[in-house]
Amino acid sequence: MSVAPPGESANRGRADLMAYASLSLISIFCAIPFFWLLIASFDGNAQLFLRWPETWTFANYLRVFTKEDGAKWLFNSLFVVGSATVLVMVLSGLGGYALSRTRAWWKLPFLYAILLIRVLPSTALIVPLYKFLLTLNNAEGALLRPIFGGATRDIMRWTGFIDGYLGLILVLATMQLPLSLWIMKTFFDGLPRDYEEAALMDGATMIQRIRRVLVPLALPGLAASGLFAFMSAWGDFLLPLILLSSPELQTLPLGLFRAFLRINEIDYGLLTALAFIYLVPAVVAFGFARRFLVQTFSGGVKG
Amino acid sequence: MAKTLQERRAERQLMIVLLPSLLLLVAFVIYPAIYSVYLSFTNEALTGAAARAPRLIGSRNYMRLFGDAKFWNALFVTFVFVLGSAIIGQFVLGLVSALALRRRLVFRSLFSSIILLPNAAPEVVAGFMWISMLAGGDHATLSRIVSFFGLPTADWLQVFPLTMIIVVNTWRGIATAMILLTAGLSTIPQEIYEAARMDGATPAQMFRRITVPLMMPTILLYMLISTVSTIAVFGLVYALTRGGPGGATELISIYIYNQSFTAYQLGYGAAVAVITLLVSLVLGIAYVRAAKVEI
Repeated sequence: MSVAPPGESANRGRADLMAYASLSLISIFCAIPFFWLLIASFDGNAQLFLRWPETWTFANYLRVFTKEDGAKWLFNSLFVVGSATVLVMVLSGLGGYALSRTRAWWKLPFLYAILLIRVLPSTALIVPLYKFLLTLNNAEGALLRPIFGGATRDIMRWTGFIDGYLGLILVLATMQLPLSLWIMKTFFDGLPRDYEEAALMDGATMIQRIRRVLVPLALPGLAASGLFAFMSAWGDFLLPLILLSSPELQTLPLGLFRAFLRINEIDYGLLTALAFIYLVPAVVAFGFARRFLVQTFSGGVKG
Repeated sequence: MAKTLQERRAERQLMIVLLPSLLLLVAFVIYPAIYSVYLSFTNEALTGAAARAPRLIGSRNYMRLFGDAKFWNALFVTFVFVLGSAIIGQFVLGLVSALALRRRLVFRSLFSSIILLPNAAPEVVAGFMWISMLAGGDHATLSRIVSFFGLPTADWLQVFPLTMIIVVNTWRGIATAMILLTAGLSTIPQEIYEAARMDGATPAQMFRRITVPLMMPTILLYMLISTVSTIAVFGLVYALTRGGPGGATELISIYIYNQSFTAYQLGYGAAVAVITLLVSLVLGIAYVRAAKVEI
């Protein structure tokens, strides 16, 4: 290392100081809104504004599960988003492998298409999507009703396309597919073909090659694909807002939003506790996904 | 060159494993996108006579758009929102963070974790937290901060609604800008700076003559990506203001939602959606071309 002239180190010191100052200000800006959520959720008499609690309590968290249907909302969110994530991991694993290895003519058009699909805003697709799902739902209802009669509604709660788990899971998964396919395609591009070719030489079938060779090798890629799918689906508000109406199917974002709309009886302790429960899995997933962020953001269109 | 039987079989298997993804994308993205073009030429509605017997009405929805002050208002609000939050707010704060985090600072990873945090919060939670920040009355956090500096307080979401949703969206997206710009900064070779320092360049000169020109491609890509993703913002602003007061924060996404599911005008909503889809598609194509994405 060369010896810096005396002016240089003073310069560096001042630049470091400016860096600390600006980072501190930006961090305060970023962190401040979270304080209220955290503190009010433990406040026995929570208000809309930030204040130091007189009594600290867990009662708000208990009320989420006793007074409101918090347990049901949490289950619905975990079930719907979890299923969608698993579906995305399976489909993007298989599809990403195909996109990486194929030499067919459709490779380039397909890849350009999924890049462009990612820029389409889901608010602009929601109307025709809703109409289409309604048609599918009516067709399914007409098909099931003669067979199951009065029990149809109970079955459609699981398999319906509108106001049913299946429709929301499929649509949520589809919205995450372009990014996940892209991640897996890029991941498989970086895996040498030697392993599969060796397995092929040994006479392994496609299924065996996938199970014994590709899945173990692809686990890091699948983790990234699944994490991004989970985060995006977990935070999504528009799709459940439009596709669900039954109270027993409500997910956490809907429960939170609707509880807040009951203007006359807003219980801030309960709401902040609910919001905090909804926030935690998102932050945990984000923590795990951090090391993948740079590759993903710079690799394709944003996440 | 003739393909061997085995190669053809392998290609067929690859197509089969991709098929489920293709089916889902066609059913729930491509088909709705095309269907929305058709819907935009009908008088389709959720309730009433038009719901039972929708018919083609030619370009009447599009004619109506041109005379609809609320549509132009939504376009204007969206434009200001994108300009204020993505192009200026997130970019400036993201660039400052990226530049500062390149130095060897003590709390580096703590700072970057905190800056990433808003990005992790679900839209509805983010909106909810900011309702508390921006509430009316002297106790709300922002009012306390400004009165600490001796400035007058206000019912922020009522008096400065558009400015406030720009602030909130800036808050949420600093991380994205920071990550992309950090990646761009890391591609500038350190030797260039050292050579410039030898020649006696000041830090300001180096920033203007080296960093900015070499970062231009990254900056351009960031602008395109963030514009497209900011046009799509819905839940964050809907949870905060639902488009109000009086349409002051009615982004194009909220306008589509309100026309379709509050006014039940599906055909008209689809016409607005088609315009939005086209704008996003053009920006997306520009991105793919500019980024020279490696496939």
